[in-house]
Amino acid sequence: MSASEQFVDSEQRFRSLFENNSDLLLFQDEDSIILDANAPFLTLLHLEKAEVLGHPLDDFLPENLVSFFRQRLNEAFQGIPVQFTVAVQFKGAEPKVLSITKVPLLVDNAVVGVHMVGRDITELTASNQLIEQQARRLNTLFESITDALILLDREWNITFLNQEAQQLLKVESQLAVGRNFWQMFPAEVGSVFYQEYHEAMATGQTVRFEAYYTTGGLWLEAKCYPSEEGLSVYFSDITYRKDAEAKQERLTADLYRHNQDLQQFTYIVSHNLRAPLANALGLTQLLQTDDLEQAPLLNHLHTSLEQLDSILQDLNTILAVRDKQDVAEAAEPVLLLDVLRQVVDSLQEPLQQCGGEIVLAVPKDLHVHGKRAYLFSIFFNLLSNSIKYRAEERPLRVTITGNLDLNGEVRLNIVDNGSGFDREKAGEDVFKLYKRFHSVPAGRGLGLYLVNAHVEVMGGRIEVHSTPDAGTEFQLLLH
Amino acid sequence: MRTVLVDDDYISVFLTEKILKREGLSEGLCSFQSPEEALRHVQQSIPNEVPDVILLDLNMPVISGWDFLMALRPYEAQLVGRCFIYVLTSSLSPSDTDRVHEFPLVAGLIHKPLDDLQIQTIHAQVAENRN
Repeated sequence: MSASEQFVDSEQRFRSLFENNSDLLLFQDEDSIILDANAPFLTLLHLEKAEVLGHPLDDFLPENLVSFFRQRLNEAFQGIPVQFTVAVQFKGAEPKVLSITKVPLLVDNAVVGVHMVGRDITELTASNQLIEQQARRLNTLFESITDALILLDREWNITFLNQEAQQLLKVESQLAVGRNFWQMFPAEVGSVFYQEYHEAMATGQTVRFEAYYTTGGLWLEAKCYPSEEGLSVYFSDITYRKDAEAKQERLTADLYRHNQDLQQFTYIVSHNLRAPLANALGLTQLLQTDDLEQAPLLNHLHTSLEQLDSILQDLNTILAVRDKQDVAEAAEPVLLLDVLRQVVDSLQEPLQQCGGEIVLAVPKDLHVHGKRAYLFSIFFNLLSNSIKYRAEERPLRVTITGNLDLNGEVRLNIVDNGSGFDREKAGEDVFKLYKRFHSVPAGRGLGLYLVNAHVEVMGGRIEVHSTPDAGTEFQLLLH
Repeated sequence: MRTVLVDDDYISVFLTEKILKREGLSEGLCSFQSPEEALRHVQQSIPNEVPDVILLDLNMPVISGWDFLMALRPYEAQLVGRCFIYVLTSSLSPSDTDRVHEFPLVAGLIHKPLDDLQIQTIHAQVAENRN
């Protein structure tokens, strides 16, 4: 092929490249005059070739970009290719994002013109922006969840960890992302976390578990969601809850032990302590003496042992009540008037002796859920006290009223006109063991203790008001 | 009165023996500090020399009073109406009082120390039964 043929050929090839290129192509001189433009450029501007050639590019640019394009052109005329990305709306055309390259055409070391190649990257840019936007949204989402979150790929590399995870694991995102999880936390290899993570990854099943994170000294609750990409692990610090649970367990164990001790104590009181005392009592009964000096000694010894025995019996009664904490479950309906009449009957003799009367103003059908024996003990103790501590100067009168209140609870009031006591001075002691509020007649200080214990075991409440020389009122609340 | 006393506490045994003696009822008394031996004695006494009264302590090692009563269950038919068992205990536990009702051979529960009055009551019951 001849040189001229070669030239024609290369000229044709160039034209073909120029015209058929999908990019926008222009050839400009130093004054920005368009010397050539290809079809895509003309299509974009909706113009014929004749309407473009011989005009500067400036004529088709929005005004704010004219000087910018001029500068880039000038740079290209310095002999250096120029590349930039620009959002531009040519006059009469749609807005585009173009990646533009300006290539100087050198002839004999002089720039004779500049080719401008504009690649339409509008869609690419748009989708890149969409991806960025979604990534930002996802990031916000991951950060906004209160759980810590780590994303791991299938090779156990950390691809993401949110703020909470960085705090809990005490690592910074920059230092963690891209690193192998097990290399970062070597102490956890073989741990519960290790086993559970592998389980989730191998089976593709969600895994939830609680485990102790040795490296950080924390109890964590974790949920692992496996996917194609790897594993999403959500976790939260449950150390506080675990501590509370452990404390609760210790407390329960303690209580159980105390209860065992108490039962043991009850057993000792009712068996081991009583056996030698019973022997001693029996022996003093057998001992007899005619010696006038020895006789009172023996007498006092016997009385002392009997006193000891009565304390032991009190203790046993108390412990028996305290031991029966299952009463609430074994409760049965008990008609109050029935029990009260029974108690009053059993107290007929002392009542007649002192000329007292007991008025029962309790509805016939009023009943409580409890234990009949306890109710008997409560009323017997309270009424015995009324008789015992009556005022000598007036005949005893006790009134018992009862009703069902709005909460469905039974209220009982037991009011006497007896000698009363200083309620304020008695204070908290009023229902305590071996506390007494009258010097005469003698008492053991057990009655009110037992009353309160029986009321409490049945889930009720008792209050007492008293005025010296006026009387005493007991208010009972039962279910 | 044929009496068997079962009690591991030697002071308690001493006391009971003393009171029986004072009431003139110590003839025919066999005391055992070992419940195993007492059990063998009672089993061998069936049918002709059944004791009239067994005074039985509850709180004993290895074989408790309750175990003793359980061991006599197979002989109940041969003993009932002829042999009266009195549980003799220093225990104050109310559950013991409830439990004696499970055993038809038990005629009563006595809280230690045993006294003259209780022994006389027992004697009267046995005498009444004989007639």
